[in-house]
Amino acid sequence: MVRRIVILGWLVALLAGCGRVETRPEARPARGLPRVCATSYPLAFFAGRLAEGDAEVSFPAPGDQDPAFWRPSEAVIRQFQQADLILLNGADFEKWVNTTSLPMAPLVDTSVAFKSEWILFPEVITHSHGPQGAHSHGNIDFNTWLDPILAVRQMGVVAGALRRIAPADEAGLRRREGELRRDLIELDRELRELGPRLRGRPLLASHPVYGYLARRYQWDLASVHWEPDEPVTPAQWVAFDTLRAGHPGRLMIWEEAPLPAVAAGLAERGVRPVVFRTCGNRPPAGDYLAAMHENIRVLREAAAAGP
Amino acid sequence: MGSLFFLAGQSLRHRRGQTAVLVFGLAVPIYLVLAVNGLVLRYQDSLVRRAEATPLVAGGPGSRFDLVLHALYFRGRVPHPLKMADLAAMRETGYALPIPLHVRHTARRFPVVGTTLDYFAFRRLEVAVGGQLLQLGDCVLGAAAAAELRLGPGGRLPTDPDNLFDLAGSYPVKLLVRGVLSSAGTPDDRAVFVDLKTAWLLDGLCHGHADVTGTNTEAALLLARTATNVTAGAAVPEDTEVTPGNIASFHLHGDPADLPVSAVLPVAPDARSATLLRGRYQAPESTVQILAARGVVEELLGLVLRIKRFFDANALLVAVSTGLFLILVVLLSLRLRRAEMETLFRIGCARGFTVRLVGLELGLVASMALLVAGAGIAITFALAPAW
Repeated sequence: MVRRIVILGWLVALLAGCGRVETRPEARPARGLPRVCATSYPLAFFAGRLAEGDAEVSFPAPGDQDPAFWRPSEAVIRQFQQADLILLNGADFEKWVNTTSLPMAPLVDTSVAFKSEWILFPEVITHSHGPQGAHSHGNIDFNTWLDPILAVRQMGVVAGALRRIAPADEAGLRRREGELRRDLIELDRELRELGPRLRGRPLLASHPVYGYLARRYQWDLASVHWEPDEPVTPAQWVAFDTLRAGHPGRLMIWEEAPLPAVAAGLAERGVRPVVFRTCGNRPPAGDYLAAMHENIRVLREAAAAGP
Repeated sequence: MGSLFFLAGQSLRHRRGQTAVLVFGLAVPIYLVLAVNGLVLRYQDSLVRRAEATPLVAGGPGSRFDLVLHALYFRGRVPHPLKMADLAAMRETGYALPIPLHVRHTARRFPVVGTTLDYFAFRRLEVAVGGQLLQLGDCVLGAAAAAELRLGPGGRLPTDPDNLFDLAGSYPVKLLVRGVLSSAGTPDDRAVFVDLKTAWLLDGLCHGHADVTGTNTEAALLLARTATNVTAGAAVPEDTEVTPGNIASFHLHGDPADLPVSAVLPVAPDARSATLLRGRYQAPESTVQILAARGVVEELLGLVLRIKRFFDANALLVAVSTGLFLILVVLLSLRLRRAEMETLFRIGCARGFTVRLVGLELGLVASMALLVAGAGIAITFALAPAW
């Protein structure tokens, strides 16, 4: 009888131990340098210059794709999810973010502070259904960094974010921020110098991506919607000729050199194509500043050569 | 002593039926009193721990109990959701990281919790099987939800229709199960987690459909077309499943700043920041209320414990009546066993021996009753949910 009671006691003790056990996973193991992921090349460049070895900066978009219309793979999304800092250009640049799960804590929108200065395309067709009213898909000019003054502000946001995640070398970060600001202001100075040469001269653009430059430096710019790697259809030529009748530009800014047939068509009309890379992705040679200086040099030469 | 145990055991075995009734009669009240009190203490502890792990809860104006239960236990709906603009304003204060929650929908009756990945880090929820949320239309399941739904990574979970009679309203969406979380012993185990944007998709504020702005769109699908606007009707077929092929077509309607969140968990780095944040929203005209979850839960428990006092009084009365019943049974039993006791005395047992024998029998009955009650309590605790 006593033995049975003891066995019953063990059974009760065993059942009592079957209760749920709250599991608490270990905290994330300590890592090396803070990881920074940028969605555009200018932001990656700014972060790289500012961090200078104090953070691991990556820009995962492939070199042959437009980061504004690229969709990252699952592995790249996981890379973004694990970053300590995710730098967004904002202004609807990185559309993939709208359909991707990212943590909020490391997200930094570098252009939201000047939202009121974003350029909206007036010609975009909106649509509406449901109670929320009209909307369109992508009616914001997201090339904010092309305006060096806005780029300085975006760089300042990047510096502030880096200060939070890698605060060790505050003096160094402040020094590098000052240097980068001077470099960007130098771009602004060069573009201002270019201003008088372009003032009063109608300019053409192959794509509506130079709005911020045109606004800052008062360029008289009209844009079409042509792709550098696609031929121009007869209807597009007709529309172009109609446009030129009211806006007789002789310089046409392109993101990349147009196809030879398109360049020939432009030459027939007395229009000279000028490559001004937006640098949303890595330039073929050099870095962001080198590419922008090259853009300005090419435009300056074209403006000097033309009538 | 051995002979005493032998005789007591034989005596109880001889009156098996009577012994069983006594053991059961004692075990039931012991079980009821201890199990009820134990469960109440356990739930109380669970409530307080959840509240302690969630120092602040923010939401629109309304009942503070509703808001805290909604944010901590995903129960009920809040009457006045906040907007993303409120969330942004809270973040701009720099005092806390506001983690959004949007709990309005269900999937096979489990609450669908729209949030950001920050929630999982805040709650220390780890993925046990599969992966974390990746994109629109994904979900990760709490451990208990996954077990009950028998779903794992790669499975599809349809959400429950919001309103069967609103044909133009939001449609159920087939969520893709990306992963299953480890058991945490909290309400998170019974939740279906989705990205906040997926919660808006379920609201009908975000959706995917073919391009309707093109000139080749069927006229029957459009209500109006002008040079700058196309008004599409409810006939435009909307995608009910997010796939790699259609994900790019999903878009939000309206101003992102106006998108709703039902509650916010502001995570402040320290007590000072939490106090300063609460101070910002103390003004009577503020449309955001920030609550200390522990205070609200303790207030709620105070109400519950007032009811518990009635049950405690009830338990006391049951214990007294059981004790009286036991005394009566023992006295009657002794009267019935008078001849047996007399025989023991005549064969040489001292009077004290018979007293010890009866006492030991009662002790064994009480021990067995305690064991039975203990086993019942252990089974109840093992089967009852942890929260």
